Amino acid sequence: MAIEVKNLTKSFGSGVTAVKDLSFSIAPGKVTGFLGPNGAGKTTTLRCLLGLVSPTSGSATIDGQVYRELENPISVVGASLEASGFHPARSARNHLRVLAAVAKIPDSRVDKVLHTVGLSESANRKVGGYSLGMRQRLALAVALLGDPKVLILDEPANGLDPEGISWLRNFLRHQAGLGITVLVSSHVLSEVQQTVDNVIIIRSGSLAYQGSLTSLSNGGLVEVVVRGPNIDPLKEVPGWSVHPGEGGSLIITGVSAAEIGHRAFAESIELHELREKSPDLEAMFLELTQTDGSSQ
Amino acid sequence: MIALVKSEFRKAFTTKLLIILTLSALAFVLLTVVLGVYLSPGPPSQEDVNTLMDSAVVTNIFASVGGASVFVLILGIIAMSGEYRNQTISSTFLATPKRELVIFAKMITYSILAFVIALIMWIATVVVATVLLSTVEHAPIEWAAVFEILGGALLGLVLYAILGVAIGALITNQVAAIVIALVWIFVVESLLTVFVDWIGKWLPGGALNSILQATNNSGFGGTDALSVQAAALVLIAYTVILAIAAVFMTNRKDIT
Repeated sequence: MAIEVKNLTKSFGSGVTAVKDLSFSIAPGKVTGFLGPNGAGKTTTLRCLLGLVSPTSGSATIDGQVYRELENPISVVGASLEASGFHPARSARNHLRVLAAVAKIPDSRVDKVLHTVGLSESANRKVGGYSLGMRQRLALAVALLGDPKVLILDEPANGLDPEGISWLRNFLRHQAGLGITVLVSSHVLSEVQQTVDNVIIIRSGSLAYQGSLTSLSNGGLVEVVVRGPNIDPLKEVPGWSVHPGEGGSLIITGVSAAEIGHRAFAESIELHELREKSPDLEAMFLELTQTDGSSQ
Repeated sequence: MIALVKSEFRKAFTTKLLIILTLSALAFVLLTVVLGVYLSPGPPSQEDVNTLMDSAVVTNIFASVGGASVFVLILGIIAMSGEYRNQTISSTFLATPKRELVIFAKMITYSILAFVIALIMWIATVVVATVLLSTVEHAPIEWAAVFEILGGALLGLVLYAILGVAIGALITNQVAAIVIALVWIFVVESLLTVFVDWIGKWLPGGALNSILQATNNSGFGGTDALSVQAAALVLIAYTVILAIAAVFMTNRKDIT
């Protein structure tokens, strides 16, 4: 099932425009990262998509339908919004049973999702005593309860320990492998970098980038670090952009390491190091999401 | 709708709120019974020296059961506004995006619970009051009136629970909702009634008192009452108006 956001705008009564004319579409059966700094409008966009917030204009649909028109929505879309949305005195199992009753889901399914997220042993404990990581797992169990075709997860990695993040990564890849459309938001690129097929990056409520991570990194120039006892002749090659690097090295952009190596070989220049530095995605992400306009 | 009511019952029975408010109501009602038995005045003219209480006073002791109404109102308010307080409202509306259905399911659930609570309160009142009355001299218990009180308690508490849900949906800040409701019942209505005597019976609290057939005594002097049927209609009218407003507001609300 595809997710489509068209010209979505949301202004709150206080005059704050959280989302401005945002459009993107999400391919089914893939993991898409929804990235942007805190306050960029990610949560508002997701809440519009889930029918909790009414758009000021534009639309957000799932499989062509707005959420509030879906029949038995939790079997279509599984969503986790914020880790705090549980009654502190209610157990994880009872929280799931409350929601299961609405969709006529049997208790066996409740126990199954608790097992999936690794909460079986704490299932009957009050959620008030849970750690943030456990709440995140419970939120994920809520999302999975209806065996949905679409997963929408708001900052699911927040509060997870490294082991939990690694588990989440495998889990999301597995879901996508089953043909489930996954939309996962984060304000930290590195959290989702190894998980997502595509990214949507927003800044101040507007789209900054939509596409694959690979094409995002291709947008940046590959830098090649060259080191050697006498590499100055490489500075003079026309068409190369050469900057001095650390410890007498040169940083050359605009050409591949192979080309540089070939040139050095042809000119009998001794090289001690010839290394491609992949572009810094995190830096590019920061640049894309900077709001002061200095990057434009 | 049955699935939604089942979900609401699971919510109600998986926290301690229901039991705490029911026990509080029970304690309050029984305390009122005890005070009623031992502190009620005797008849003004002691024609029959063997009877210290006249039959109206005796009946009024059984009407203590109506004291549970304010607890049931708070129960309804918290049932709805508590979802906003604990942010469970997001998952509730994700599971049931047609929000009016959530409000209706809560109204059905809490009217059933209020019905059971009214029954418990009445039975406890009857048991405790008869036992305590046997220790003092009193006019005979008018059982027909006591059963009328049961009918009034069932109707009054059910309507108050529904009213509570509507208030909680309208004023989603839980503390504000409770404070406003209590101030309305105990202060605003009483003051309005002092200044405009006839208005009391047309207000929610006054209408409830008419249903419960309790003396309309707010501490500023009693007022006259409506018939039970008329009072029920008045209370239903308030509930319907608030419920319509609550559905309208809830459907427009951004859940952030």
